[in-house]
Amino acid sequence: MSHYKSGLLLIHPSVTTTPELVENTKNHAASKEVKFVDQFLINKLNDGSINLEKSKYEVIQYLTPEAVTDIKFPKKLISILADSLKLNGSLMGLSDTYKVDALINGFEIVNKPEYRWVKKDFSNLTQTVSIPLKDKKKPCSTKLQNGSTKLPTFKKANALTSKLPSFKKAEDTRLPTIKRADESEVPNFKMASEPRVYKVVDDLIEDSDDDVSSDSSKAQYFDQVDVDNDSIEEEDLIDEDDSSKPMITMITCGKSKTKKKKACKDCTCGMKEQEEREINDLRSQQDKVVKFSENELTEIDFTIDGKKVGGCGSCSLGDAFRCSGCPYLGLPAFKPGQPINLDSISDDL
Amino acid sequence: MSLSKKIVILYGSETGNAHDFATILSHRLHRLHFPHTFCSIGDYNPQDILKCKYLFIICSTTGQGELPRNANVSSKRGRPLTLWSFLKKKNLPSNLLNHIQTAMLGLGDSSYPKFNYGIRKLHQRLVIQLGANEIFDRLEADDQAMAGSNKGTGLGVESVYFEYEKKALNFLLKKFPNRRFGDEIIKREELDPEIYLEPMSYLQVANKDFNEDVSKTKIEFRGDESMKSGRVSANKRITSEDHFQDIRLFQFSNFDKILEETYEPGDTAAIYPCNTDEDVSRFLANQSHWLEVADKPLIFTKGVPDDLKDGGLVKPLTLRNLVKYHCDFMSIPRSSFFLKTWTFAMDVTKMERGQEQLDDQREKLRQFATDQDMQDLYDYCNRPRRSILEVLEDFLSVKLPWKYVLDYMPIIKPRYYSISSGPEDPNIELTVAVVKYKTILRKIRRGICTNYIARLQEGEKVRYKLQNNHIVKKEFLNKPIILVGPGVGLAPLLSVIRAGISEDMRLFFGCRFKDKDYIYKDILEDWSSKGRIALYTSFSRDSENSPGVRYVQDYLWKLGKEITDLVINRDAVFFLCGSSGKMPIQIRLTFIEMLKKWGGFRDEDAAKKYLKEMEKFDRYIQETW
Repeated sequence: MSHYKSGLLLIHPSVTTTPELVENTKNHAASKEVKFVDQFLINKLNDGSINLEKSKYEVIQYLTPEAVTDIKFPKKLISILADSLKLNGSLMGLSDTYKVDALINGFEIVNKPEYRWVKKDFSNLTQTVSIPLKDKKKPCSTKLQNGSTKLPTFKKANALTSKLPSFKKAEDTRLPTIKRADESEVPNFKMASEPRVYKVVDDLIEDSDDDVSSDSSKAQYFDQVDVDNDSIEEEDLIDEDDSSKPMITMITCGKSKTKKKKACKDCTCGMKEQEEREINDLRSQQDKVVKFSENELTEIDFTIDGKKVGGCGSCSLGDAFRCSGCPYLGLPAFKPGQPINLDSISDDL
Repeated sequence: MSLSKKIVILYGSETGNAHDFATILSHRLHRLHFPHTFCSIGDYNPQDILKCKYLFIICSTTGQGELPRNANVSSKRGRPLTLWSFLKKKNLPSNLLNHIQTAMLGLGDSSYPKFNYGIRKLHQRLVIQLGANEIFDRLEADDQAMAGSNKGTGLGVESVYFEYEKKALNFLLKKFPNRRFGDEIIKREELDPEIYLEPMSYLQVANKDFNEDVSKTKIEFRGDESMKSGRVSANKRITSEDHFQDIRLFQFSNFDKILEETYEPGDTAAIYPCNTDEDVSRFLANQSHWLEVADKPLIFTKGVPDDLKDGGLVKPLTLRNLVKYHCDFMSIPRSSFFLKTWTFAMDVTKMERGQEQLDDQREKLRQFATDQDMQDLYDYCNRPRRSILEVLEDFLSVKLPWKYVLDYMPIIKPRYYSISSGPEDPNIELTVAVVKYKTILRKIRRGICTNYIARLQEGEKVRYKLQNNHIVKKEFLNKPIILVGPGVGLAPLLSVIRAGISEDMRLFFGCRFKDKDYIYKDILEDWSSKGRIALYTSFSRDSENSPGVRYVQDYLWKLGKEITDLVINRDAVFFLCGSSGKMPIQIRLTFIEMLKKWGGFRDEDAAKKYLKEMEKFDRYIQETW
C-alpha cells in the first residue's frame, strides 16, 4: 500500500468549475494506485509560469471537458510532458489526433487496458543519447535538414505505429472518469437541445451526527410565549463601549483586484461629471459611426465580409463580448446585415 | 428537493443582497444533495429551531441598526410569533440553542454608523446568550471594504460570501461525506452544473375544460389579507418643468373607505408596482415560444411559492399576468439569475454564426454564473444598470422554460416611501422622486416603482400596505426638535411637523435652486410665518438666494451655538432624513464638531461618545435611503 505511482494531473481551466470531474478522476486514479502529487492548469504550463521537473512522474493525466477528438492541445507541451515522465510512464487524456507528435516525442501508443501513451527509450536507436528530448519536436518541421540523425527515431516510430493493428475510435478513448455518476440518475434526459432538468434527491445519512440533540424539555418555552412584555431590549444586545475587536473571520486570501470606482449618488468630487463625460463621448462617437453607416450603405451592410464588424469580430455580439474601447458599447447586440437604428433604441430624459 | 429541518438557511434581507447570497448557498446545497430548509428569518417556524442542528444565517442591517423587515415579520398570515420575537423573550435558558451549530454572515456598509448591527445582534443573542455553537467565527462584509472581514482588502462583499460558502460547505461535506442513493451509500458529489434543478412547485396549463377567455377577466390579487387597495387622489409634479428631477406629490386614500388608516410620523407606505404593457410585450417577443401559452390559465403543481405571497398572487393566473405583475425582468440580474439560467442557452436557431456563437454565449453566461470574482458581471450588468430583458436580448440563445419562471426570475417586491401627510389625514401623501438616469446604455434607466407611480392617473387603483416604524417616541413630545431633511428627505419630516408633536421645531431644508426644486415652498413658508416652525433653507447651486450657506450642514454650523445648546441643555431630538451616502456622514461630522466647539467636549472621543449615547436613546435619529 505504501507505494503509489506518482502522477501529475493537468487540467483545462474550464474543469475548475466542475470539481466533481477532478474528484472522479482522482478516485479513478487512486483505484489504479496512482496518486497525483501535482496538479496544474494547462495554461500555466503553456505560458511558462510552471516548469516541470524531468523524469518525475509515472503518470500524467490531462483532464478536459472537451470531447477527446475536439481537444486542442499545445503541441509544444508534448515534448515537455515527455521530459517530465519517467521511462515507461504513461500520458493519458490525448487521442490519436496528436499521434504524430506522440511518436516524434518517443511515445508508444498503447490501447489496452486503457488508451495511453507510454514513454519508451528509443535512445539506443537514435545514437544521440545526450540530445535532450526537447529538440525532438523539430525534425519533422523546420529543422529537418539538420535532423538527419534523428530521422531514425521518426522512422522507427512510424514502424511502431504500423505494428499496431488498429486505433480505436474516439469514443473508446474517452476517459471513463469523465462520465458523471449523476447522468444515470437523470430521468428526463432528452436531446442535447433540451435542457436537462433534475429533481434533486437529497439525503443526509442520519447516523453521522450524534452531537447534543435538543432535549424535549425545551419545547416548554413555546408555551409561555403569549405573555407579552417580557422581551429583552434589542439595543442591549450591542455593547457600544466594547472596544475589543469583534471576533470575526477575516479574509486574507484572494486577488487584490480593486473594483472600478463608481461615483456616489451625491458625488461632489467630479467623478460623476467624469462618468457623464465618458458616456457623452461614447455617444457622439456612436452617432458618428452610425451616421456614417447610413450614408454609405456598404459600411453598415454587416453581411459583407470584412465590413461587418470591427477588427475584433465581436462588435455585433453585444456588450458582454465587446472590447473596452468598442464604439458600439452600450448598444444592443445587432444582427449583421441590419443597419442600427438609434432612434428605436434610445429615448430622452 | 426535499426539506429537512436539520440543516437550515435563514436570511434577513432588505435590498435583496442577503437573499441572493442565501439563494446561491441553498442552490449549492441542493446540488450537493443536502436536504435543508430555506426561508427568511421571519418566515421560519420558530418551533422548528428545536429540530435544527446546523443553522446558516445571512443577514443585513437596516434603518437604525435593525434587522431587515423580513427578519422581523412573517409574510405568512396568522403567525405573530417569529423566530426572532421568540428568541428575544426574557425567560429563555442559556442552553436553549446548545444543540445547534451555526455560522453567520452579515452584510453591511460601514458608511452607516450601525455597521452590521443586524448580524451582531443575532450573534449576541443566539451564540453568546442562548448557547448556540459557532462552526467558525462569523463574517461581516463591508460594501466599502473599510471594515469587517474584508477590511482593507479592496475585495467586494461577494468575496466575503464565497469565503463563508467555502467554510460552510467544507464543514457539511466533512460531516456528511456520503449519501444514500437507492440502496447504496455513495460519495456525495456535486451535480453536473449543466443540469437545471427542478423547483418544488412550478407552472402548468390548467385543465382544458377550463378553457375560458381569461384575458378580459378583472385583475385581482389573492392570498394576502394585509394588502390594501387605494385610489389615487392626486399625482402632481412639484419641481419646475425645467428641473432635471421630477418629484411627485402622490396622494391616495383607502379604496373601500371603511378602513380608518392610522399611522404615525416616520411610517412608510409599501407600494406594489408592476411592469408596463410595452415591456411585457417586449419580453414575450424575446421569449416568443411563450406567446402560445401567454393567456392560458395556469396552475401550480404544488401550491403557490412563498415568495409570491406578499401582496397577493395575481388572478387570473396566466403567464402574461405573472410577467406583468410578479416577474421583475426589468431589474438588474443578480448572479443567482445566471446561476439558474445559463444552462438554457441552447437555441442555435437564433445564432447568426451557428454553433460557435452558441458556445460563446453559453460559456460567457456560465462565467457570469460561476465566477467568484464578479467584476465582469458587475461591468456588464450593474455598472450600466442593464436589465434582465436586455441581457436576454443580447443572448438570444437563451430559451427559457416558462414553467419554471418563478424559480429563476426575481419577484417584484414592494417599495417603501415615507409618508408626508399628518396622522389624521385619510389622504395618504407620499413625496416621490421619479428615478430616471442615463448610463452607457441608450435607453433611459427607470426605477420600476417610481415610474409606475408617475404613470398612475387620478382614480386609478394602487396596492399598498402601511408599515409602522416606531420612529417617533412618546418622549419626544414637547422637546425641541431639530429636523434636517434636504431634498426628498423632507417627506417624513412634513409628517412630523403636521403631527405637531412639539411647539419647538426647527427645520433645515436644502435643495439645488430656490426656483426649481424647493418643494413644498408655500406650505413651509406659511408654517414659518405662523411660527409653527423655524425654517432654515439652503440652495446648493443658487448662491444668490443662499448667501454663505451651500448645504444644510453649513446652516447647522452657522447656528451651531444655539443648536448645540438645545441638544445639551434642553434634551433636543435631532432627526435627519434623506438620501444615504455623503450627506449623513457630512452632517454627522458637523454635529461632532459642534459638540466639540460649543458643547464643552474637549476631545473627539468624548463628543463621539455623547453622540452614541444620543443614538442609543433615540435622540439622534437617522433615516436615510
